[in-house]
Amino acid sequence: MSAPAVRVRDLVKTFEVARKEPGLAGALKGLFSSRKTTLTAVDRISFDLARGEMVGYIGPNGAGKSTTIKILTGILTPTSGEVDCGGFVPWRDRRAYTKSIGVVFGQRTQLWWDIAVVESFQLLKEIYGVAEADYRRRMAVFDDLLDVGRLLAQPVRKLSLGERMRCDLAASLLHEPPLLFLDEPTIGLDVVAKANVRAFLKEVNRRLGTTVILTTHDLDDIEELCERVVLIDRGQVLYDGPLAGLRDRHLPQARIRFDLKEPPSGDPATLAVGRWAAARVAASRYEIVVDKRETLPAEVLREVVNRLPVLDLSVSEPDIEEVVARIYRENAALHRAEGGADEPPAPRPETIRRGVRRG
Amino acid sequence: MPGRALRVPPPLRPYLAFARTSFVNLLAYRARYFVGIATYFFNASVWYYIWRALFAEQPPGARLGGFTFPQMLTYVATGWALRSFYFNEVDREIASQVREGRLAMTLIKPVDFQAMTLSQALGESAFRAVLFTAPILLVLVLVYPLLPPASPRALALFALSGVLSALLVGALNFCVGLVAIRTTSILGVLRAKYLVLELLSGLLVPVAFFPEKVARVLRWLPFLHMNDTPGRLYLGLVSGPEAALALALQAGWVLVLLGLGRLLWRATRSRVEVQGG
Repeated sequence: MSAPAVRVRDLVKTFEVARKEPGLAGALKGLFSSRKTTLTAVDRISFDLARGEMVGYIGPNGAGKSTTIKILTGILTPTSGEVDCGGFVPWRDRRAYTKSIGVVFGQRTQLWWDIAVVESFQLLKEIYGVAEADYRRRMAVFDDLLDVGRLLAQPVRKLSLGERMRCDLAASLLHEPPLLFLDEPTIGLDVVAKANVRAFLKEVNRRLGTTVILTTHDLDDIEELCERVVLIDRGQVLYDGPLAGLRDRHLPQARIRFDLKEPPSGDPATLAVGRWAAARVAASRYEIVVDKRETLPAEVLREVVNRLPVLDLSVSEPDIEEVVARIYRENAALHRAEGGADEPPAPRPETIRRGVRRG
Repeated sequence: MPGRALRVPPPLRPYLAFARTSFVNLLAYRARYFVGIATYFFNASVWYYIWRALFAEQPPGARLGGFTFPQMLTYVATGWALRSFYFNEVDREIASQVREGRLAMTLIKPVDFQAMTLSQALGESAFRAVLFTAPILLVLVLVYPLLPPASPRALALFALSGVLSALLVGALNFCVGLVAIRTTSILGVLRAKYLVLELLSGLLVPVAFFPEKVARVLRWLPFLHMNDTPGRLYLGLVSGPEAALALALQAGWVLVLLGLGRLLWRATRSRVEVQGG
């Protein structure tokens, strides 16, 4: 097996935050001494990415997603832990390493705001030392896939969000980096623009074998693009595996929904169907939710069809959004039960291991 | 442009591109500079009338601080013209990049932050030379009886010294920006810097008017090399070995401030926690 494209071990990042006390007395006190609290944004995170893999890195706000990305892109230095991205330690080998990565922060742009988009591309061409022939060929591909050609002469400030994102994506890939970081690449985009971005990313991954790490709050991004998802909360990995597995493990439900030919007499709120109870969701429409670990959905279906005059019938699994929301809730409840503190635990004193560069 | 760019060694090409992009970027704001031309003309004019009033008290041909009236007038005019050339806001830009979390977008690029910043500052100076300093000088020459350079050689030394001034200001502002982000009042630090620079660079008062002890200290500080050194080279008030020494000191200060900037950046780098998480 070839070396992973990204290897992260026991990554920890803590921030010192000055704690301000309220009121005038507190403000005066703050002049002479500031009490600092330590926040642990990333708490012993480990994972590997294989070459060419597209992985969704998800978690609620403040889970430590962006902090991880900032460490992996060389912007932040971790408190402890090891990272190896294709032989580089990002924060130590920043200038050499950043040649091999592309980064898109959805909320920011790397393009110069007031001048034509093409000027930014010309600058990037020189920064990464892209040869003229490669530059032309790649720009043609970007125009083909992202339709950026007609945007090049316009200043960035005049572009729509979707147009700007297309340009930013192209800009991050001009040097064909083997590793691509996307932080909220579809934030604020409309349905069509999102679809364009996703199609483009799939194509890039297929053509160039680019390894992609994607953080997003839009789980449709993940469902469409990523086979694997790493879910973090409170700085720790809660789940690492296929998206489908997330559902099976945390919310293994099937929902059987059916419409009756005519409303049952009395329009009851629940309806007995063999061993199960169906709940009314609308006029003549009922729903049975079962735990897949205990019950085969097919068994329920048979029962429904045999006993009731059914007009229409469907089986569905819970939304991935719902699954993830439930995981966050459960984890928050767990933390409350463990000791009440809603803040992440203070870091344990431990020897700080810096990243080791490997071959 | 491309024909010339080909001869630039590859490691320097990104930085030439930064300077060029900075130039293009300023073109988008060129309207702002037309107002600036009037401001500089106004500043130079104020000092013209102040010095005229002071010289009016003196017998004709008298010298103040070693300057005749036409020399003083020329010193003031070259001073403001130089300022219009070397001025940049690298410090404020660095501070706002950090405050707004935009620094991240710079750090993800395989470039040296200091070299990038200075390239952009030089790109700005190139822009200013053409669209700002040249028109300002033209207006000043037309309105006031300025002296020509003392000799062609003096003009060449003045030009060289002017470029060193731009480097010096760029290197200094890089340091000031990094210091400012450690304080809670970035604007306060920048305002203090402008006061110190204008007073100690010879822009407002030639160094000869300071008490001897102060003047002696000033000669060993970098500030005079921003205005006073090129101004006196233009007038031929320093020449020969003295001129060589002045230029060497100026270049030396550029190197010292570049080195200081690197140390400061290294010390700041790990402390700059880019916003958000």
